Amino acid sequence: MIIIGEKINGFIPRTLQAIEEKDEKYIREIAKSQTEYGADYLDVCAGTAPEIERDTLKWLIDIVQDTVDTPLCLDSSDVNVLLDVIPLAKKPGLLNSISGETGKCEAILPVIQGTTWNVVVLTCDQTGIQTDPKVKFSIAETLIAKAEEYDIAQERLFIDPLVTTLATQQDSLLSFNEAVRLIKAGYPKVHITSGLSNISFGMPFRKAINTQFLALAMSAGMDSAIMDPTSADMRATLYATDALLGNDEYTMNYLTAFRNGLIGPAKKA
Amino acid sequence: MIETENLKIAVGELDEERVNAFLDASLAFSPTEEDARAVLAAYQAGMDIVGERFEQGRYFVGDLVFAGSLFAAAVEKLKPLLGFSGGEGRIGMVILGTVEGDIHFIGKNLFKTMLEAASFHVIDIGIDQPPKAFADAAVRYQADIVGLSGLLTTAVDSMRDTVEALKAAGIRRKVKVILGGSIVTEAICTYAGADDWSRNAYEGVGKCRNWMRAKTR
Repeated sequence: MIIIGEKINGFIPRTLQAIEEKDEKYIREIAKSQTEYGADYLDVCAGTAPEIERDTLKWLIDIVQDTVDTPLCLDSSDVNVLLDVIPLAKKPGLLNSISGETGKCEAILPVIQGTTWNVVVLTCDQTGIQTDPKVKFSIAETLIAKAEEYDIAQERLFIDPLVTTLATQQDSLLSFNEAVRLIKAGYPKVHITSGLSNISFGMPFRKAINTQFLALAMSAGMDSAIMDPTSADMRATLYATDALLGNDEYTMNYLTAFRNGLIGPAKKA
Repeated sequence: MIETENLKIAVGELDEERVNAFLDASLAFSPTEEDARAVLAAYQAGMDIVGERFEQGRYFVGDLVFAGSLFAAAVEKLKPLLGFSGGEGRIGMVILGTVEGDIHFIGKNLFKTMLEAASFHVIDIGIDQPPKAFADAAVRYQADIVGLSGLLTTAVDSMRDTVEALKAAGIRRKVKVILGGSIVTEAICTYAGADDWSRNAYEGVGKCRNWMRAKTR
């Protein structure tokens, strides 16, 4: 599993507070803890008003890179902001994101052509967020083909089939998993990721939904997630599911994680 | 005259069985238009209970959606009796949409249901709508309120541009503008030049009601 740490994001109230108070210490803390708990990338998203989004992102990027070596996942819905902050990254990471919305591919793909940047690909377009797995698949197909025009191999694409909210769509997981299966069958080399906590929006006791979604989606072929690796429940689900799906030879990763205290019963203080 | 207190409570409790039993009973004996209006009013009062419990954290988004479906089913059944298709009996006209560059719709749709339950006439112009589409609809339908939804950072500038488009159309002073979505804050409300904002559908409906009260006074 490729873990994208989700915490450095201004849409999360605690992080927004740190951004507003210029609380460098907190940002360093969550950069460090997410890295220690196995984040392969650290998502960095400003979540602030447009006129200060660039400055906020730059502030976050500088602090994170001064704290850890973990590659960044640069996150903005504004393509121009993304293009502006790419040069700030010390090494190539992940761009979050492109989609079928007009102009996004054309702006981003040429810039990462011939580099080792990877990119998150959302299966939505100008007509909105799709719920039909077949439509998600066909958008993914179009975008994979566009990436290929710029010599961007499937291995560099993290397709996000956009999980919808269970509270408003009963077959949210089923539809997500169907899209995952279709995409994996057609393009086995692409990664599938998900900002999965959206599944439990508006529900109580969200971690019950989030952990089970993680396990079920992994069994359908999802091999990455944008999540909080510092959550003990999410970590336990991750290691256990990977072992159950036969991805963990002799269950060594699970055992090592247990021995290192990454998973296991909560320690008494 | 139909006793509607129990219906109101059943809607508030989200007790589908009792709600439907009451609705069917009230429609069984050649109800008048007045009866139908009383039933609808009971549903609306019940939806208020649902909204209050949502605000208190006792109900969740799934409860709101379910309540909306109960309400929509009742309106469908009562329609022939009420004989309304237009603005009659409505307390105000709202143009609602997700602003340009944003495609999220869950919050917008919830807000729409809650507004309709509160007797507003709502024209939902959809997602990713340019400023001009809002202005055109507001002019055509003589809107009292324009609701702008969005949750991407890029939606903020679209919200500001939409308010500008209302100014350009010469109707900014005639309409109230409310922002909704997880991105909005007091600062963004000021930046966009809107009148108010909310991240909670029920609270937003309360603000719209207050505007209509002030207007008719």
